[in-house]
Amino acid sequence: MEIFPRSLSETPVGKRVRIHQLESKPEVCHRLRELGFCENAIVRCVVNGEGNLICEVCNTRIGLNHSIAKEIIVSAFE
Amino acid sequence: MFREKVELSTRYIAIIGNPNAGKTTLFNALTGLRQKVGNYPGVTVEKKEGKIIFSDGCSATLLDLPGTYSLTANSPDEKVATDVLLGRTNHTPPPNFVICVVDASNLERNLYLVSQIIDYHIPVVIALNMIDVAEKSGMTISSKKLGDELGVRVIATIASKKIGVDELKKIMQSNVTASLKARQWSLPKVVKEECDELQTMLQGTQHLSEADAFHEAIQLLTSPTALSEHLDRYAPELLEHVKKDHERLDILGIDRQSVFVESRYEWIKHVCEASREIKSQSFETTSDKIDKVLTHKIFGFVIFLALMAMMFQAIFSWANAPMEWIGEGFNELEKNVTALMPPGDIRDLTVNGALAGVGAVVTFLPQIFFLFLFLGLLEDTGYMARAAFIMDRLMSKVGLHGKSFIPMLSSFACAIPGIMATRTIENRKDRLVTMLVSPLVSCSARLPVYVLMIAAFIPQQKVLGIFSLPGLTLVSMYLLGLFAALIFAWIFKKTLLKSDAPVFIMELPPYKLPSLKTIIMHTWERSYLFLKRAGTFILGVSIVLWFLATYPKTERATPAEQLQQSFAGQAGRLIEPVIKPLGFNWKIGIGLIGSLLQREVFVSTMGTIYNIKDSDTQFSNLSLRQKMHDDIDPHTGVPTFTILTAICLMVYYVLAMQCMSTVAVMHRETNSWRWPIFQISYMTALAYGTTFVVYRIGLLLTA
Repeated sequence: MEIFPRSLSETPVGKRVRIHQLESKPEVCHRLRELGFCENAIVRCVVNGEGNLICEVCNTRIGLNHSIAKEIIVSAFE
Repeated sequence: MFREKVELSTRYIAIIGNPNAGKTTLFNALTGLRQKVGNYPGVTVEKKEGKIIFSDGCSATLLDLPGTYSLTANSPDEKVATDVLLGRTNHTPPPNFVICVVDASNLERNLYLVSQIIDYHIPVVIALNMIDVAEKSGMTISSKKLGDELGVRVIATIASKKIGVDELKKIMQSNVTASLKARQWSLPKVVKEECDELQTMLQGTQHLSEADAFHEAIQLLTSPTALSEHLDRYAPELLEHVKKDHERLDILGIDRQSVFVESRYEWIKHVCEASREIKSQSFETTSDKIDKVLTHKIFGFVIFLALMAMMFQAIFSWANAPMEWIGEGFNELEKNVTALMPPGDIRDLTVNGALAGVGAVVTFLPQIFFLFLFLGLLEDTGYMARAAFIMDRLMSKVGLHGKSFIPMLSSFACAIPGIMATRTIENRKDRLVTMLVSPLVSCSARLPVYVLMIAAFIPQQKVLGIFSLPGLTLVSMYLLGLFAALIFAWIFKKTLLKSDAPVFIMELPPYKLPSLKTIIMHTWERSYLFLKRAGTFILGVSIVLWFLATYPKTERATPAEQLQQSFAGQAGRLIEPVIKPLGFNWKIGIGLIGSLLQREVFVSTMGTIYNIKDSDTQFSNLSLRQKMHDDIDPHTGVPTFTILTAICLMVYYVLAMQCMSTVAVMHRETNSWRWPIFQISYMTALAYGTTFVVYRIGLLLTA
């Protein structure tokens, strides 16, 4: 059994998840939301390496570093 | 706010859209070559204007605005887009109407900006761009339905193939006064009540328009700093009211920050569902597959380094032949002019001053051309964003993020576009750090100095069988600059400009085949600027320098003595005590003074100085490097240049801030003299100190 909610940084490649909550600083949250990372949006992880992640949200690829991905809390979608 | 009933010829039309939506491609398709690139006063964000000529001979001015995700400005370039669009600036008139470029394959996020534009009642036409890409990824969008939902005209376009461009032109030509629907997205009831109330208050007390008041109200309700920032702007009653609103919404458990964005997206979702049909959803695109390799933590880095190595290797090998042609061309020209003109000061001035100086610099045009060509290719294929992504790991070690890497990469061409590229960095302190260290990265103006010194003094030897010593020397100079930049970024982040670990969020556009036309146009623009500088600034400096190196004339002096007695020689000898500890004599001193404003002037200065020396003897065909190599002080018997001096000189140029244009851009970007002065000071001190150490160590090793 997978445990949700958890952070986006723990999402395996190819998995689709739903954004549950953003826990960053307000201005970072705002930026994330404008780029499509808003609550309830569906995100798919494309690359999740040691350094950074690439996620698909609203059909675009966004590069993120792990410290932000840790602050994006996701829940199960599939 | 918007000008109505204007003559067609004075119409002002702006193109806005998300980054990577294809604004510039559409702009090029609409205007062709009738473009003008300038800067917005006060900020160095490129201002691109073009003329459109319609079928009936009328014309309008089209303005390409910087890409932005929203009208709530995050970074300086987004702020420009917002300010121009809303008519908040004095330098640019508010547009009569706006073309909003929307990436069809990424409808949700692009419509976010559209919804804000509609809220402001700005007359807008939507160019639903890259419709072919959307179809390929399995979705069909009805532009008619989308238009009905949004209440604006929507034209499907493929800017790269000029599809839909004529239709757009027709709309621009006919005086569209779009009847915009009222705001369609709705807020939760409680939030709407508070927002409406605040809006009415703002309309009454601040005399704002309905749309402005609405946005101000949102700002006051969401921004955590709005209350403390605007204490003097609003009446105390209003601020008190806002405070109460905050408390009420917080008690109800409503996230004030997210509710507005979410409500917008809620509506956008509805619009998308009504106008878009998704047939199949391909999960892994080609771009994703490429990304798996190119952004891999090991392969990605190796490929990146290989690409960089290839770029520099290619720049030097490909540029060799055209460089020789230009050099020979100038030699021929000098010979012909010498033969045509009667001997005297005027001939001297033309041949030894103007032609020798300008020629020495223009020779480097091919390398500059290739450098910009490569950077353009990286940008246009979409690889540049990946380079930032890969480098983020390294950059975070010095406290910066991957976005700071793009300015540094551009600085390999020139620190000016580099410093301008920092405007995408949201955090002010991170942006300043990047601006402060970018000029340490070796720019193309240093290249002529390196190439001259290496060609003249570094022996052609093989190292480890495959590398050549001159090549390795050049690479070490580039690495020295890069490492100095990284080390100083780390120092500044730890001391002067402390801030939290930066946040890296960046869109990675899909890979695409580069558009040759865009790249060539860009490369041409940059090369032209370089040539223009050679024809104006460097020509001027060369003439002045010729004068300073020729006068006052001494009777019966040898050319060498003459140079020593001249104004330039006197100035060189004046600073000789200061530069002697670095192993430089007064002749190099002339070069250093001459290149205070621009680095490549060093080469033209050497060209002028060494040509003057020969002018009394017969016209010499020896190359500049040969002359420098053979130059020996007649009194002491010590050569002006040795391998060690050449290395010291290069090290000095790697680290010193010898560029007036960079100082000017720093002043404009930071809006102060403090930072540019600080930059000159720390870089000069660093250059002097390091060169001194290198010289001393070199002396010990060669002793």
